[in-house]
Amino acid sequence: MSTVPFIEVENLYFSRGDSEIFRGVNMTIPRGKVTAIMGPSGTGKTTLLKLIGGQLTPDKGRVLIDGDDVHRLSRKALFALRKRMGMLFQSGALFSDLDVYENVAFPLRVHTDLPDAMIRDLVLLKLQAVGLRGARHLTPAELSGGMARRVALARAVALDPELILYDEPFVGQDPISMGVLVQLIKRLNQALNLTSVVVSHDIKETLTIADYLYFISEGHVVAHGTPADLDANQDARVKQFIHGEPDGPVPFHYPASAFYPDMLGDTVIQGDAK
Amino acid sequence: MTIKQGAVASRITRLGRRGCDLIESLGRAGVFLAQSAVGVPSAEGIRLWIRQLHFVGVLSLAIVLVSGLFIGMVLALQGYTILIDFGAEDALGQMVALSLLRELAPVVAALLFAGRAGSALTAEIGLMKATEQLTSMEMIGVDPLRRVVAPRFWAGVVALPILTVGFSVVGIWGGYLVGVEWLGVFEGSYWSNMQASVGFINDIGNGMIKSVVFAVVVTWIAVFQGYDLMPTSEGISRATTRTVVYSSLAVLGLDFILTAVMFGGL
Amino acid sequence: MKRSRAMEFGVGLFILVGVLGMVFLGLRVSGLSFSGPSNTFQLDAHFSNIGGLKPRARVSMSGVTVGHVESIELDTEWYDARVTLSLDSELEGQISRDATASILTSGLLGEQYVGLSMGGDPDMLEPGDTIRDTQSALVLEELIQQFISNMASN
Repeated sequence: MSTVPFIEVENLYFSRGDSEIFRGVNMTIPRGKVTAIMGPSGTGKTTLLKLIGGQLTPDKGRVLIDGDDVHRLSRKALFALRKRMGMLFQSGALFSDLDVYENVAFPLRVHTDLPDAMIRDLVLLKLQAVGLRGARHLTPAELSGGMARRVALARAVALDPELILYDEPFVGQDPISMGVLVQLIKRLNQALNLTSVVVSHDIKETLTIADYLYFISEGHVVAHGTPADLDANQDARVKQFIHGEPDGPVPFHYPASAFYPDMLGDTVIQGDAK
Repeated sequence: MTIKQGAVASRITRLGRRGCDLIESLGRAGVFLAQSAVGVPSAEGIRLWIRQLHFVGVLSLAIVLVSGLFIGMVLALQGYTILIDFGAEDALGQMVALSLLRELAPVVAALLFAGRAGSALTAEIGLMKATEQLTSMEMIGVDPLRRVVAPRFWAGVVALPILTVGFSVVGIWGGYLVGVEWLGVFEGSYWSNMQASVGFINDIGNGMIKSVVFAVVVTWIAVFQGYDLMPTSEGISRATTRTVVYSSLAVLGLDFILTAVMFGGL
Repeated sequence: MKRSRAMEFGVGLFILVGVLGMVFLGLRVSGLSFSGPSNTFQLDAHFSNIGGLKPRARVSMSGVTVGHVESIELDTEWYDARVTLSLDSELEGQISRDATASILTSGLLGEQYVGLSMGGDPDMLEPGDTIRDTQSALVLEELIQQFISNMASN
């Protein structure tokens, strides 16, 4: 972990409407590693990815990618920076009017002037890597969820980016495609020497691929470390999450008044009506 | 007393906030229009534009032409029964052509277009937003305004005037069918009265200006509602309804203003 | 690829429909002819009252349409209406100096138009000249007033 960090998140504040989502988040994401960002649903993990990708602007604080402040860049420079990033969306987000082949070719066609033959080679290479070379003529509507995510992965790496952001890659997958995705993320990261950021709440899968973890809750980073560190972490919130306990700092009950008076009060009113 | 004052004050506050929201969304729509409509088209852009022209234009042609035919026929039928009382049935061609060219073709074609193509545009863009296609396009480094919205906008702006011309032609032909072939108006007077009274600039030209204005407004509303909606299935269905309602109101309101300026001597 | 070609064909056809429709509207519906605007010449006529005459109204001679009213404005020297007529160039140099222009009504309630009738003067009007002999529109109220005052004086 001695390398220069690729992404630095410094004292990030962000709110949407009246609800504060981040209250001073600090992170450093090392180059060439898989870093996972975990936390209960609704803690704004996806929002954090959007802040890193420059789609949202923070209220305070900054995000540095390879030394550039993402939110200070001009629109043009930001789009240039995005060529060096790939992002895998929760739903895959394949373009529904293009087939699998054209979806993977899309970034190449937009950002390079390569001849068609070379684009074809590159696209087939990427599709081969995710095992879907044979599915190139299918439309996104014909793909299963896992296949769509693999095509999206091929598209995300089409331009050989330095950074890939994964937004909940394992959600809603059957065990087989989950295993495939875990494999792919691991392999791609090693083979292409990528920096990966995985946002997820699937503990088991995430622990197997991540080199380093950040745990976010209530707008702060509450814990970070290697998978082993976090497993041994004594913070109640972390423990509840990692071990999947139903009650704890994240309460089982939505805030409510005391149970018995509430129930009894209800009966009394009904009795009155009679 | 104080409670009442408080209620009034809060109502005024709410009204003011709603006004601010309205102005803000109007501004957002304006910026959106400027960002998506401006830009040099590339070869790729023209291909996308043709695709959308097929989608909003060619596929709307049937409904627009059939409606035009029926409206022309009804106009002739109604006009005949009124004109015959004054012995002026020779003016049928003039009546049919002027009502179609000045009013009915631009307005009805725009309303049909809003229902057929506008709602589809909203739903399509909305679905792309809901499935994160627009965000992922942005992350790939492609501006979705340029790539998704602009071709659709320009296709709508070109398609509606063409549809309006088709509507007029078919309507005038429908009037001819009913008036001349069926009710027995003399064919020569149908056409010659029409030619004597219809001015190319004054009637056809103004009708086309109306149509272009409606095209810009309807397509603008449609693509903006699609782009600005809440990315849920409920949001999409609401935005689709809003597109049809807003564009119908905008078309009818603008029609009054344009008519007043063009023909009302304002 | 084949589907996209069919689509492009459809779009081409669509645009062609628009162009042909426009041509139809121009030629058949508005009676536009390509020999149009360049082949006219203009004459002025002053009327003390034009009634309901409007720009673009018909100008006819013996019932045949020979042109249209180009513009109507108030002459601030004489305080009467100066009507500019656009006439077919066939008639250029053919209208005698003492020709009459009168504002007539087609039918009882019809549109008003300008009727030209030839005189006998061998001198002809040149483009831009003014027709001297004019007859204003008949205004119903004036007619009735005249009728009543005639009755009274009788």
